[in-house]
Amino acid sequence: MSKLLEIALGLVTGIGGFLEAGSLATSAQAGAAFGFQLIWAIVLGTICIAFLVEMAGRLAAVSKHTLPDAMRERFGVRFFTVPLVAVVLVSFLVLASEIGGVSLALQLATGIRFQWWAPVVAVAVWLLLWAHNFSLVEKGVSLLGLVTLVFIVGAFKLHTPLNEIGTHLLPSLPHQDGARYWFTAVSIIGASVSPYLFYFYSAGAIEDHWDESYLGVNRLTAGLGMGFGGSIAVAVLACAAMVFHSRGIQIDRYEQIPLLLAEPLGHWGFILFVASLGIACLGAALEIALQIAYLIAQGFGWKWGENLKPRDAARFSLIYTVMVFLAGLVIFTGIDPLKLTIFSMALTALSLPVTVVPLLILMNDPLYLGDNGNHWIANAAVLFISLLACIVAIVAIPLQLMGGS
Amino acid sequence: MAHREVRFEDLLGKTVRNQYGRAVGRIEDARIEPEGEDYLVKEFLIGPRERLPRLLAFLGQLPTFRAGGLGRKSQVRPIPWHWLDLSDPARPVLSPPSAPT
Amino acid sequence: MDLGRDILDQQVIDRKCELMGKVDGIVLELPQGKPPRVARLVIGGGTAARRIHPGFADWLVRWRRRWGPKDDEPLEVPWSRVLKIGIDVKVDLDAERTSALAWEHWVREHIIGRIPGA
Repeated sequence: MSKLLEIALGLVTGIGGFLEAGSLATSAQAGAAFGFQLIWAIVLGTICIAFLVEMAGRLAAVSKHTLPDAMRERFGVRFFTVPLVAVVLVSFLVLASEIGGVSLALQLATGIRFQWWAPVVAVAVWLLLWAHNFSLVEKGVSLLGLVTLVFIVGAFKLHTPLNEIGTHLLPSLPHQDGARYWFTAVSIIGASVSPYLFYFYSAGAIEDHWDESYLGVNRLTAGLGMGFGGSIAVAVLACAAMVFHSRGIQIDRYEQIPLLLAEPLGHWGFILFVASLGIACLGAALEIALQIAYLIAQGFGWKWGENLKPRDAARFSLIYTVMVFLAGLVIFTGIDPLKLTIFSMALTALSLPVTVVPLLILMNDPLYLGDNGNHWIANAAVLFISLLACIVAIVAIPLQLMGGS
Repeated sequence: MAHREVRFEDLLGKTVRNQYGRAVGRIEDARIEPEGEDYLVKEFLIGPRERLPRLLAFLGQLPTFRAGGLGRKSQVRPIPWHWLDLSDPARPVLSPPSAPT
Repeated sequence: MDLGRDILDQQVIDRKCELMGKVDGIVLELPQGKPPRVARLVIGGGTAARRIHPGFADWLVRWRRRWGPKDDEPLEVPWSRVLKIGIDVKVDLDAERTSALAWEHWVREHIIGRIPGA
């Protein structure tokens, strides 16, 4: 496939794949509660994930190792269990959130409660993976995921003041409700910097046999893909700010959320919202389930591959099967998907240093990256944002739990 | 002829003591070299035993931490294979041949 | 070459480049008065678990005895069978005929293979 086509595909995947339950929920909540104030959190999160995705791609292209493979090799099996357990736990919660997101979309479309949809969604996700042609599925879902661009249309139709967006690209302190502000900020960063994104990306780069000639493609895909994706999250926040915050309306019920698009775009807005939610979360669920399987299989040297027949990668297939089943079960218990999502995002932010520091060490190891090691800016930016997110999460999560959500 | 055998992964991280029982370091790795058909251990890499220098060495792998003063270069030293007495693999003893008795 | 940095925990592939597991352990021979010799590589069979934590390994062993393949022993690969050490460790074996894939086969037969479409 020509490099140009690869870039285009990567962009589509990045844009269509960026928005999922986490970024939708956190951006909408942030817009409704704090207007345009928290746009800086989306900016920081997007910068961080763009760097991390580019790093994961570069690691794969230069060292020919996936991230979990390289991590176990470099640090030994004992140390490896720490990021392994952290990422599996956090990713599992996010997987459940995504299945919850699709189930919620189906509830909005049909009126049937989300928990009854959970088993259906879980089976659908599993079937799409079991069909062992994920390359095709991924392209299809990514293309469909472009429907999320409708949020940008919505934001314009609502006459979003662009100067407001500009003002709030930089961080600001909250006027009131400090605990909730920082908790929301941290969950936005956790939603943007989901480990599954760069783990999955590194596996993809190996499956596509990337080498050093792909470093430019990698940079473009990571930067533009995540950049565009982040702007869709900003659009979601803007819609929420215009529809809810400016009127002082709080989001209490799920049925209110589609107003984000129903207001500017009428009935079509509602349909496109439901479609966006469903497709975005479906795409993410597929990737996360695969990513958990990648992490464990690659860490222990087992056979793996998104296009392999299940019987040719038995343990790998077993892992994603069990994960999807358990995640579906979590939503089936009726737990509030919105609360689960926001909480998982905050937990992701909390666990960031554990996930990110080993990757950074690898990216600065000439044994793996040769002359293509990290620029000091990339190191500093990622480290700073991760540590900041973690520290704020340590303070904000307990406060939020105590204050009630 | 059956030689004694030891698992390398069991040696990793073991504290190395000198003849007087004092802990002098920790086995970090082993350097091997080919000799004919075989690969033989030429040196053992011994690092500091205490937690703090090891933590600083870990953090020191990141240039950002080193620039911020929060990391040191690794203090791992190679010692020739015959300086390490592995009669009891759980308790390696550093016994350089020229040591005073 | 360093044992820990370049060999331990590396991916192992067989002569057909199939993934076989990781180098979980290395056996050193200690001849009297001579340098230690790299004797065998050890793959699977709970070796990695023992490195993580001996208590965890014991618990795992009990679990493995009740479930899973009977031939679950760690695979010991003589050093003479090592073909190449680079991005991975390539060994002159057929992975399907060794115990390295015992669990893979067991999961395939007892779980995955029973689901239609596998």
